[in-house]
Amino acid sequence: MTVANHQALKAVFQRIREQADQRKTADTDGAVPKITIGMATCGIAAGAIETKQTFEQALAERRVEAQIYTVGCIGHCYAEPVVIIDHPDSGFAPIFYHNVTAGKAKMLVRQFLIEGDPCFEHIYGAMETNEMIPSVTEFDRFNQEVRVVMEKCGHINPEEIDDYLVSGGYSGLAQALQMAPEDIVAAIQHAGLRGRGGAGFSTGRKWALAREAESLEKVVICNADEGDPGAYMDRTIIESNPHQVLEGMAICARAVGAHQGIIYVRAEYPLAVKIMTRAIAQAETMGILGRHIFETDFNFRIKLFQGSGAFVCGEETGMIRSIEGYRGMPQHRPPYPVVNGLKGQPTVINNVKTLACVPPIIEKGYSWFRSIGTEESPGTAIFSVVGDVVHAGLVEIPMGVTLRELIFDICGGIPNQKAFKAVQIGGPSGGCLPAAFLDTPIDFDSLTQAGAMMGSGGMVVMDEDTCVADVSRYFLDFTQNESCGKCTFCRIGTRHLLDILERITKGEGQDDDLQRLQDLSLDIKKGSLCGLGKTAPNPILTSIRYFKEDYDAHLKEGRCPGLVCRPLIAYYIDLDKCARGCDACVGCCPTNAVFTTSTRKKGIDQQLCVKCGECVVACPPEYDAVRKVSPPHLVPAIERPAQPENAEDA
Amino acid sequence: MNDVLTSEEKAILADIQQYLSESKRDRSRLIPVLQYIQARLAYIPYQSIALVAAHFNLAPAEVYGVASFYNQFRFNPPGKYPVKVCLGTACHVKGADIILENFERKLEIKEGETTPDREFSIERVACVGCCALAPVALLGESVHGNMAPSKVEGIFTRIQVEKEMEARQKSEK
Amino acid sequence: MPTITVNGQSIEAQSGMSLLQACLEKGIFIPNLCYLKAMTEPPASCRLCFVEIEGQPDPVAACTITVADGLVVSTDTSAVRQLQRTALQLLLSVHDIDCKNCPANKQCALQDLAKFLKVPLKNKPTETYLREPAIDETHPHLTYYPNRCILCGKCIYVCQTRHGQSSLSFAKRGFDTVISFYGALEIDQQACDDCQQCAQVCPVGALVMKSG
Repeated sequence: MTVANHQALKAVFQRIREQADQRKTADTDGAVPKITIGMATCGIAAGAIETKQTFEQALAERRVEAQIYTVGCIGHCYAEPVVIIDHPDSGFAPIFYHNVTAGKAKMLVRQFLIEGDPCFEHIYGAMETNEMIPSVTEFDRFNQEVRVVMEKCGHINPEEIDDYLVSGGYSGLAQALQMAPEDIVAAIQHAGLRGRGGAGFSTGRKWALAREAESLEKVVICNADEGDPGAYMDRTIIESNPHQVLEGMAICARAVGAHQGIIYVRAEYPLAVKIMTRAIAQAETMGILGRHIFETDFNFRIKLFQGSGAFVCGEETGMIRSIEGYRGMPQHRPPYPVVNGLKGQPTVINNVKTLACVPPIIEKGYSWFRSIGTEESPGTAIFSVVGDVVHAGLVEIPMGVTLRELIFDICGGIPNQKAFKAVQIGGPSGGCLPAAFLDTPIDFDSLTQAGAMMGSGGMVVMDEDTCVADVSRYFLDFTQNESCGKCTFCRIGTRHLLDILERITKGEGQDDDLQRLQDLSLDIKKGSLCGLGKTAPNPILTSIRYFKEDYDAHLKEGRCPGLVCRPLIAYYIDLDKCARGCDACVGCCPTNAVFTTSTRKKGIDQQLCVKCGECVVACPPEYDAVRKVSPPHLVPAIERPAQPENAEDA
Repeated sequence: MNDVLTSEEKAILADIQQYLSESKRDRSRLIPVLQYIQARLAYIPYQSIALVAAHFNLAPAEVYGVASFYNQFRFNPPGKYPVKVCLGTACHVKGADIILENFERKLEIKEGETTPDREFSIERVACVGCCALAPVALLGESVHGNMAPSKVEGIFTRIQVEKEMEARQKSEK
Repeated sequence: MPTITVNGQSIEAQSGMSLLQACLEKGIFIPNLCYLKAMTEPPASCRLCFVEIEGQPDPVAACTITVADGLVVSTDTSAVRQLQRTALQLLLSVHDIDCKNCPANKQCALQDLAKFLKVPLKNKPTETYLREPAIDETHPHLTYYPNRCILCGKCIYVCQTRHGQSSLSFAKRGFDTVISFYGALEIDQQACDDCQQCAQVCPVGALVMKSG
C-alpha cells in the first residue's frame, strides 16, 4: 500500500469515527440522569430485565426524565443485577448499586432521581474518587485488576457499533491495514501473546505458520465454543464487547492473508449469538467488514456458526469437522489446521480472549503488552472465579499475580469463616491445588508445573466442606459424557476411571483402586488420540497427589471428610437441641422422613432420608439441631414410634 | 419407523421442505439445517431426517449419525414445560444433583425423558453461566437461582395455579 | 525409496506409505484393528499400532507416520506393549466374551491379538462393562451386536467406498457410540444383498448377515 493510500485510509476511518461521534452526541442529552444496567446473561439471570422494566415504568409514572443505557457485564456476578446511576444534578459522582431488585429500582427513582437522596445504605461505591462516597477504585476487587480484554466490557452498549467506535474501537484495524502483513505477525510474536484457550501455544508462531502456508484461500476461526462447565468469560466478552473480537479476527486475517472468517459460538449462548450476529451486520454496513474494508483492497467476511453442544468441538480438528457438517470427532495431528484445516485450507483457530488481545497490541505496541504480566506469559489472564468465594465473577489480572492474591484479596476470600481447602483450575483438563500452592504465580508455566493448567480459565474455589474425590468424580463424569467415542482409551478408559471413582465415593472402593486409577490414567494420557483424552485424567492425578488423605478416608474408613458423598453421610437430629413442638423440618422434607418422637421432638428415618439437607436449612438457627455425620453409623439410634401420635389425623 | 406427528407438526414439516428447497446442498449447511428443524419442531423426527438426507444426497444413517453426536438435538418431543437443571461445576459443588433428583422424584421420570402427558421433560445442561446463583434450574426460559428441594415444590404449585387460572379464564370466555 | 530401521533390521519402504503398512508388508507384525491398506487417512482410533521412534519421548501410532528416510523404529518395547495391552484389555472389557456362540470364533481379531499380546480374554481387574445388550435387527439383511463391536469403522469405510455413500454410520457419542442402520428400510435392498462386504470386513462378528 502506498503512502497516498495510507492517507486515504486514515481519512475514511476518521470519517466513520466522526459520524459515530455525531450520532452518539445527538443521542445523549448530557443533563439527564443516566441509568446504566448490566444486561449480559448473568445479569438477566439475576433479574436485570425486571429491574430495567421497573425503572422504565417508574420513570414514566413519575414523569422523570432519564436515559436508560444497557451494557454488557462488568464481571461482578456476585452483585448482579448491577446498576450505575449518573445523576449530575445531585452533585454525586456516578454511583454503583448492587443487587438492584425491582423494589430497589422503584426506591432509587423516587428517592435519588426525584429527591436527590442516593440511599447510602444501598450504595456499593462511587465510580470515581470523590469526597462524599467511598470509591470502588479503593476496593481490591477493582484496583488490582488490569483490563486489556475486558477494558470496555460493561461500559459500552454491545449492540451499538457507534459505542465501540467512539471509545476508540477499530483503530487497531485501521493501523494494521497500514502495516505490512509480516509486520503484524512480527508484532504479535514480539508481544509474546500465547493462546488463551488452553495450552498457551504462541499466537505469533501460529500466525507465521499460516502466513507461510501456500494457498489462495485461508480461514480464520474464532473459537467461542466454551465448554468448560464453570467458565463463561468468552460468552461474557461476546455479550459485552463483540467488536473487539471481530477487530482481532480482521487483523489476524490481514496478517495471514485470509478472506473468510468463522466465529464458532455455542448455540446454548443465544444472547451471545444474537449480539454477535448484530455486530457483524453493523460492521459490514459501515464498511468495516466485508468487501473493501475502509475502502481498501482488503476483503474479509465473517460468518457465525452455532456449535451444537459437544465439548470435544473445542478441539481444533473436532471443530473443523463440525463446521464441515460431520460428527465432531478430532483427527490425528499433524497435519495441523494451520497447514491443512477447514476444507483443506490453512486455518488459524484462536480463542475469543486471544483475538480480543490483538487490537490493543497493535494500537499500543507490543512493548506495552510485554510490560503487563511476566516474561514468559505477557499480558493478562481472565478467570471466572466461582464456588466458595465472596466476590464471584470474572476477573482480569496481570499474569504473575499469585493465587492467594486473586482468591483472598481480589475475590474477598472464603465466606462464612470457613477454611480454604482447594482451588480447581482449568476445568476438566486441569487440576486441584491445595493451600500449599496458594503462592503459585498465575501464568501458563507455573500452573502447568504445579499440576493444574491455565486451560479455559475456569476457577472453582472450594472450602473445607468439599470432597476432592467427589470433585474428581464430577469432572470424570463430564469428560466421560463428552468423550467423542472415537478412540479406545478415552471412550472406554475414562469409563473405567469413572466407575472406580464412583465406587470410592460410595464407600465401596477396593484396596488397590488408587494404584489402578493412577496406572490407567497414565496410559490414557499417553494413548489417547486428542487433547481431551490426554488431559482427562488430570483431575485424578493431581487430586491423588495432593489430597491422598481424602481418598484414604473413603477407602479405609468409609468416611467422607468433606461430608459430601451422600452414601457416606447421614443426618440426625440432636434431641438436646430440638425444640418440642417445632415442625420446621417436617414441612420441608421431600420424602416425609422426619417423624415425631415419643417426647414430641423430631427424628429422621434413615431408610427414607435422601440426604438433601433441607432440614438443616429449615431448622431455626436458635435451635440448630440437625447434625451431619460420616460415616453414617455414627448416627444415634432414635426409634420411630410404632403408632404415630397423630394417627387420628391420618 | 416414522414418528407420530401432530397436524401442527405436519404443517411445520411442509415449511421445512420449503426451507430446504431454498437452501444450498453444501454439506457445511447440514448442521445449520438441523438447527432450524430443532428450532421449529423442538426435536428431530424421523420424517425430517429423511427430508434432509434426500436434500444433501446422504444416507439417513449419516444424517442421524451427525445429529446424534450433538447435545443440542433430541429425537423425542420435549414437554410443554422443559425443566433444565444446570450441572456446571459451581452448581455441582452446591448440590445440583440433589435438585435434579428432586425433579425426577416429583415428575417420576428420569433425566432425558418426557412425562407421558408431554407436559414436562427433564434435561441436565452444562453451565448456563450464572454460577453466582448456583444451584440453578431453568423452567422453559425462566431461570430459577439458588434452588433448593423445597423450591421444586413451589415451582410446580405455581404452574398448577397458572394452569387453573388459564382454564378459568377460558371457561369465563 | 526411504530406508528405515525396524527392530535393528534395515528395510526399504515405498515413499508416501504409512509406517504401519511398511512394517506389515515386510512381515513385521504390529497389532492393529481399525486400519485398512486402502485408507488414505486412517482413523487412528483403535490405539493399538504403537511403536517407538527414536527421538520421540512417547510411543506413537504407526498408521499416522509416513515413512521417512532414516527413521529408527522399535515395535517391541515395554512402553509399546504396555499401551497395547491396556488398549486391548479396555476393548475386551466391553466385549461380550461368548466365543463358542460367536460366528467369528477362531477368526476373531480380538482372539488373535490376545494371543499375540498374552492378554487373557477375561481379565479380573478390568471387569466388564457391557451396554444394554440390545441387538439391532432393523436392517433387512444384517444383524448388529453392539456388545461385540469394537467401533473400528471398517464396515462404514467399505460401504462408503463401494456405494459412494454409506448406509451405515457411527451414531450417538462417547461410550454410547454404536453403528447405526437408521433409515435402513428405505435403502436399496438389492444392493445390500449382493454386497455383504461390511459383514465380511467385520473383524469381530459384530455385523452378521441374516441367514436365509
